[in-house]
Amino acid sequence: MEMLLMGLCMSVFGLGIAVLAFGAATRSESSDSAVQPQLPLVKAVAPARFFSNRVPVPPTVPPVVRPQQVPIEVLLLQIENHVRLEQAAAESFIAFPTHAQLHSKTTSPFVN
Amino acid sequence: MAYELLNGLSSVEIEQVLELGTRLILPSGTSLFRLGDPADRLFLTERGRIRLTLPMQVRGREEDIFVEESSPGQTVGWSALIPPYRFTLTATVPLLDAEVIALPREALRAYFAANPAAGYKIALNLAVVIGHRLQLFQTMWLREMQRTVEVRSV
Repeated sequence: MEMLLMGLCMSVFGLGIAVLAFGAATRSESSDSAVQPQLPLVKAVAPARFFSNRVPVPPTVPPVVRPQQVPIEVLLLQIENHVRLEQAAAESFIAFPTHAQLHSKTTSPFVN
Repeated sequence: MAYELLNGLSSVEIEQVLELGTRLILPSGTSLFRLGDPADRLFLTERGRIRLTLPMQVRGREEDIFVEESSPGQTVGWSALIPPYRFTLTATVPLLDAEVIALPREALRAYFAANPAAGYKIALNLAVVIGHRLQLFQTMWLREMQRTVEVRSV
């Protein structure tokens, strides 16, 4: 009986030491965190999502416009029209030579 | 008909000059002269139009490109009076028939020698025609150069 009481006392004593040791250990961790240097704030990154409420907009790529090749007869007429317009503009410049007349615009498709 | 080359001449002088020439009726499509041909005649456009062209490569083909057009009263082929006496353009008759007066160089020179006053007026008129052509094409050349510079500097 005495031996049992002795063992019980020893157990209670050991348990008390363990509790004190645990408390001391816990207290030192919280104090360490108080002196930790402040880390720079990092912007939170949104987690990747497979689905989104917004419909994704495809990047706008300008369509490749190929110059439509006109028949050669039409091209030759355009050239003639261009020459006539340029001559008319040159005649205007010769009649009234000014900087504005020299560089006046025409409606020729070759220059617009 | 008022001819730019005969401007300022008396009616008698005009008659004398015109008598040196030959009247030619040119159906549509006729070639009056071609680039590089010997130029021994000068032409006064009497009726219709004369189309002047230069050859240019267009899509791998040589095409006659419109340069200018001669109207009634205007002069065509003044290379006949300017060395080296070779045509520097091609002259054809477009859609409608045309009529010109062909003046041979040698006959004109003989007339100028015999009538220096008339020859002087004609020479001045020729200078006006050539000078106008020069001004016209230097202006057109500069306009094209300006566009080339603008395109290349973009």
